[in-house]
Amino acid sequence: MVKSTLKYIMFAFSLALIASCIRDKENTIRFSSWQSSPSEKRLTDSLLHCFAKKYPEYNVKFELIPGNYSEKIQLMLGTHTAPQVFYVKDFVAPSYLRYDVLQPLNEYIDKNTSFDIDDFYPQFLDAFTKNGKIYGLPKDFGCFVLFYNTDMFKAAGINDPPKDWAELEEFSRKLTKDTNGDGKIEQYGIVVEPSIDKLMPFVFQNMGGFQDKDGNLTLNTPEFQGALEYYYGLYKKNIATIPTDVSMNNTEEVFGRKRAAMVISGGWFVPQLKDQYTDVNYKVAFLPKGKQMATIAFTVAYSSPKENSLKEETWKLLSYLTGKEGMKAWTSTGIAMPTRKSVAAQLDYIKHPEYKYFMGSVDFAKVFQVEYNERWYSITQSAMQAIFYQKADIPQKLKEMEDDMRSLRLKK
Amino acid sequence: MVSGYELKIKMKRNSSTKKEQQFWAYIFLFFPLMLLAIFVFIPILFSLVISFFDWELMASQQKFIDINNYIEIFGDKIFYKAILNTVLYTIGVVPIQTMLALFLAFVMNQKIRGRTFFRTAFYIPAVTSSVVTSIIFVAIYSKEGLLNSILGIFGFAANDWLTNPHTALISIMMLNIWTTSGYFMVSFLAGLQNIPNSLYEAAKLEGATKRQQFWHITVPMVRPVTYFVVVMGLIGCFQVFDQVFVMSDGGPNNATTTMSFYVYQNAFRYFRLGYGAATAIVLAGIIMIVTVIQKKYFPPNPY
Repeated sequence: MVKSTLKYIMFAFSLALIASCIRDKENTIRFSSWQSSPSEKRLTDSLLHCFAKKYPEYNVKFELIPGNYSEKIQLMLGTHTAPQVFYVKDFVAPSYLRYDVLQPLNEYIDKNTSFDIDDFYPQFLDAFTKNGKIYGLPKDFGCFVLFYNTDMFKAAGINDPPKDWAELEEFSRKLTKDTNGDGKIEQYGIVVEPSIDKLMPFVFQNMGGFQDKDGNLTLNTPEFQGALEYYYGLYKKNIATIPTDVSMNNTEEVFGRKRAAMVISGGWFVPQLKDQYTDVNYKVAFLPKGKQMATIAFTVAYSSPKENSLKEETWKLLSYLTGKEGMKAWTSTGIAMPTRKSVAAQLDYIKHPEYKYFMGSVDFAKVFQVEYNERWYSITQSAMQAIFYQKADIPQKLKEMEDDMRSLRLKK
Repeated sequence: MVSGYELKIKMKRNSSTKKEQQFWAYIFLFFPLMLLAIFVFIPILFSLVISFFDWELMASQQKFIDINNYIEIFGDKIFYKAILNTVLYTIGVVPIQTMLALFLAFVMNQKIRGRTFFRTAFYIPAVTSSVVTSIIFVAIYSKEGLLNSILGIFGFAANDWLTNPHTALISIMMLNIWTTSGYFMVSFLAGLQNIPNSLYEAAKLEGATKRQQFWHITVPMVRPVTYFVVVMGLIGCFQVFDQVFVMSDGGPNNATTTMSFYVYQNAFRYFRLGYGAATAIVLAGIIMIVTVIQKKYFPPNPY
């Protein structure tokens, strides 16, 4: 009896062993991404389908990572199981480029002149370039623009969107209203939030930045401080609101539910406005000008791990996805803006009534990257919350932020 | 009746199968033990090891940095804040939840109308996923939510409970008391049903009131259960994570950053696995010390 049980156990073990040995076909290219919407998933599927049709000799397997994307990819890179092609956000690129884990793509780019690397807008390529080596090809971009509610503007007697900081404040004041006369404000001029992403355009407009060329922090500077004081001032003067004050989850919702006349958001908000907030009449405009025009851009690249037995095949997929044909298919629905000049011209986005503001922002948009350990983000978020919720002293908070962050600088 | 002869046979049979029994015992123990080893013991040991490294997922080689992680912990402002928050949380939650659970159990043990309904109602939060209850409470606590509208009737100004640094932690504490007291109520109910009725009858004969019965019979008799509830409550509070993760993400301004949340942040947000492991080891040490103190000064069975 004992013997037969042992036999069963051995059998179960060998089954498990066999199961663990079953692998994908030799030359399968694994591809991973996150998914921000079901339509993005459909688009990815159809793009990979087009690739499979064009190159039937390659197998591509799409492995969706629904949550905790960066954790999962880092873990896979660390355990040498990373997929051949995956998304890398501009935001995390500095910490990825620090390690020798991504494949430099220069030799392939140089070999294939038809790929036409000069067609890319340079600031998006720069986000994934270190010491002249390109570690990722930007698939698309988005950037902050101003959305404004045309009905509210008309009711307040304003025709054009604000052009500069003074107008933004003036218009916000005019647009802040107690519409039903109960002594409480129902409609705010603009909706802001205690978040560094939304603040940074103002900092860049004020000629400031998060860090200088050598990587030293520049938070405790008049430029940064001035931008923060202006931004927080809108809220302090009660002509701007924050989502939590009106029990909503994000600034887009506040705008969509007509509690604010203006919001700073990106191209991802357009489909939401069309599907969810159909009764909101809105227009898009460039962010108002400070001392200069500025906004921040977000970009995502396709990268590939250095440890990869299918380098040629991987390049085929990479160059298809970010090539003129693939990028055109990807961006033709307007889900994001193309990072290639030729594709933008072909799709006529430069003249499109809404998209022209995204494409036009490229001239002055900056990719916001910070060369500090990911903890910098928590520190700045906490500081922003302290300022908005506890009315903390701005100059002192800025100094504290610098002190807390200095030791977190990424090692070269 | 078992005759001597039969007994002998039985004993013999037992002794003859002892080896086989042992063999089976080990077979049955092997799989759970293996699972425990793979998913609990080895990771615990391994986290102790990596707490001495500057461990980075993507680096090809990990750097041994001695006790530098531990040194950094003791200069880390946020870590102190996390300890303070956790201690405040525990002090606030454990006594109230224990007393509430005992009280609820005492009431539920009486013969009152609709007892089953109440028992179920109080137990539902305990079996509901903590993520679900957290999301419900996010809505209740929001500025235009249920709590503020009720308070508004009495003329209180609306407060955004979860983004106000003074109330965020208390709000999460209230949620935790609500969810766990039902669970511990069941433990106490089991304890109460073990108290012989004769004690209450004797007390009644002596003229003891319901209140006296509660304090002088019920409370001392369920002491072993109380011990269990307090230990489990303490450990649960020291490890509170999910509510913080869902409701406030440690904010506003670190007002709800608890120790386990800070461990998570360091390991999986900042990708400083070594430092995160070191904070986890310190957290484990603190829990151990508290449990030992509790065991020493509040033994489960003093009689």
